[in-house]
Amino acid sequence: MLSRSAKHLYWLSRYVERTENIARMIDVNLELILDFPDDHSLNWKPLIDTLDINDLFESKYKNYNETNVLNFLFEDKKNSSSLKNCLVMSKYNIETIKDDLPKSANISLNHLYEHIIDNKISKVHKRKKLQYITNIVSMTQNFFGSINDNLSRGYEFEFIRLGRFVERTDMISRIIDCLCVSKSSKQTHDFSTMEWISMLTTLSAQDAFRKEAKGEANRGEVITFLLKNDSFPRSVFRSLITIELCLQNLPRNKKLLQMISRLISSSERSKLYNFDDKRLHLYLDNLQKNVSSIDSKIHNIYF
Amino acid sequence: MDVIFKKGDKLIKKMKLSWSKYELSKSYDEYITPKRTVRGHLRKIGNFFESLSLNDLQELDSATKSAIKSMGINFRVYSDEGSVERTWPLDFIPRIIKKSEWDNVEKGLKQRTMALNYFIEDCYNDQRFLNSGIINKSLITASKYYLKFCKGIKLPNKSWAHISGSDLIKDIKGIFHVLEDNLRVPSGVSYMLENRYVMKRVFPDLFSHYGVSKIDEYPTKLYECLVEASFSKSKKPEIVLLTPGIYNSAYYEHSYLAQQMGIDLVEGSDLIVKKNIVYKKTIEGLQKVDVIYRRIDDDFIDPEVGNPHSVIGVKGLIRAWKNKNVAIVNAPGCGIADDKAVYSFVPEMINFYLKEDPILPNIKTFMLSNKQDREYVFQNLKKMVTKPVAESGGYGISIGKNLNSKEINKLKKDLMKDPKNYVAQPLIDLSTSPTFRKDSLFPRHLDLRPFILSGKKTYVTVGGLTRVALKRGSTVVNSSQGGGSKDTWVVDA
Repeated sequence: MLSRSAKHLYWLSRYVERTENIARMIDVNLELILDFPDDHSLNWKPLIDTLDINDLFESKYKNYNETNVLNFLFEDKKNSSSLKNCLVMSKYNIETIKDDLPKSANISLNHLYEHIIDNKISKVHKRKKLQYITNIVSMTQNFFGSINDNLSRGYEFEFIRLGRFVERTDMISRIIDCLCVSKSSKQTHDFSTMEWISMLTTLSAQDAFRKEAKGEANRGEVITFLLKNDSFPRSVFRSLITIELCLQNLPRNKKLLQMISRLISSSERSKLYNFDDKRLHLYLDNLQKNVSSIDSKIHNIYF
Repeated sequence: MDVIFKKGDKLIKKMKLSWSKYELSKSYDEYITPKRTVRGHLRKIGNFFESLSLNDLQELDSATKSAIKSMGINFRVYSDEGSVERTWPLDFIPRIIKKSEWDNVEKGLKQRTMALNYFIEDCYNDQRFLNSGIINKSLITASKYYLKFCKGIKLPNKSWAHISGSDLIKDIKGIFHVLEDNLRVPSGVSYMLENRYVMKRVFPDLFSHYGVSKIDEYPTKLYECLVEASFSKSKKPEIVLLTPGIYNSAYYEHSYLAQQMGIDLVEGSDLIVKKNIVYKKTIEGLQKVDVIYRRIDDDFIDPEVGNPHSVIGVKGLIRAWKNKNVAIVNAPGCGIADDKAVYSFVPEMINFYLKEDPILPNIKTFMLSNKQDREYVFQNLKKMVTKPVAESGGYGISIGKNLNSKEINKLKKDLMKDPKNYVAQPLIDLSTSPTFRKDSLFPRHLDLRPFILSGKKTYVTVGGLTRVALKRGSTVVNSSQGGGSKDTWVVDA
């Protein structure tokens, strides 16, 4: 397989997965706000914190209010992670590899593209906003669904899956980092249970969590579940295992397999339950760095 | 019955088509004689169309369009706003050629292409033809398509233009003539194949009755031809198709052919030359490449020898080729025989190299650099077509009868500025074929581009891509300028 095709597949999938995760974060925040209409601490800043693009945001806007943050996350051309940019990049990446993918995948990406490019979030009616965003999530799932169901297992599939789970690991760790660490210090009153549940909701993990934990959603339980659960597909641990699976099916994988198995076993050993904010932040920061060096190594070897 | 009488338009739509109402053209119509009878070999299909109503035609038209859309058959056109994707235009009325007539054309094309390939190898080696006194030598050596670095190079089977496409037209008597030879990077073959694919879906009933010759072996033949071009002894040489990228007007075709042959579609940046060997960059590391089917013009293929700013080429490619480490298809330097001034010497080439008489006639061509020719052309500009010698795609062509006297004078001035860059040909009344436009069938002008593969043997596609000018009276068939296409049927009759 050509290096260029592999790179396009990998990035196509990363950008679609990023779209999904950003949409999920926005979705949950919109819902959460309905429960705390007067609480100003529950502003929109954490979303920008999560993506680590505060400087860019502040160069354009003064207030982290809903309108500004949503505009920035949807339309902003300079924000490379804005949904519009993610879709433009997805389209760019699929252009030369279209023929390697099922037709239905291309069609569902086109739908997603039109859904996001043809609309302006500020023009979407308040009552329809949630639905609009939920639709983004289901459209990205349509895209991946058609790949899972129709694409033969081979290098194409592995690079798609690899990109998706590298992006996912990165995003989950950012979401946890942002919601647990940066927010809990500024909390004005206790809504922690709500908050843990919202985090689970962001990742569609509430049902899986309840089955597993069976009790109240507290900090330690939720964090351990999201980072270490070995069967939930949107947990960090499960994502790392999936990355390892992909790499096993690729050529010239020795170095990468070493890196990923080191990361998996350190994740297994970690005792997160009692981590305080500071330690948790360090842990997540380290995780992101490790994922980023795996990403660089993938570029290095395959592209 | 009530319904039909209530709605007048429905009544018309149910009326059957009749050739007795078909508009006669001044040109040779491939379906209908001047007496409005269907030509002998077309009787069956001619009768079939008479069994159809306007309603049926419209249904066939929309079935064709929707098949093309859903298959995503498209091409790109450059405009002021950049390049835009357009859906491929196919007219569902097939163009039909008698098998016995085609056999002769096929022979003629093989003969012609062989002579052209011999000519190219000769130009870069012994120059026997150039020194024979038949042609003005500087016409070749001063051409921008004459590439000095090709001197002394000999290729397997003397194949330089491995893939070529000659444009054929039928004159007023219905005789095929060669209008031009495309030897650099001719395109259109994928549309020939796709047209057939679509037609089989739209007209399955017709195919089962008419014994239409198959055309789908082309990708296999092309693959064989590429294998035969290889310098390497390997039976399975590594072959790639080199494209300028997705914004090229023929990208659809590049991607289609690569897929049909199961070879990689690469861009310049996917290849790298190390120690005069070409490699492609893959996830398994560098892999040696033996044959490059390039769809990039000579000038852009290697910044070391052509345009130094080319970003679509590969640095060092020509070095690798000259060292016979990679075959380039078509070979660099082919353009020399693609020139419209050289065209007029092809009959002499056939005589010279093959000691045969040309089977397919040329169109009489006047050189504007020749004083006598020029005087004749200037006196008869209204009856002439003038063309720049080194352009393709219908660009730069002036059709005399469409110009007013002011424009004629301007044209004369333009021609005088650089006479050796222009040729003129008498305006040929291209043949017509019934073509569906809105509410009935009308005669529209056609040409035909068969594709010829030169390897150990020469192969000619059965038929080719028929292009049709969709505007009434127009002879401009290029898809970039609003032309359409037809499926071409070679039938036993």
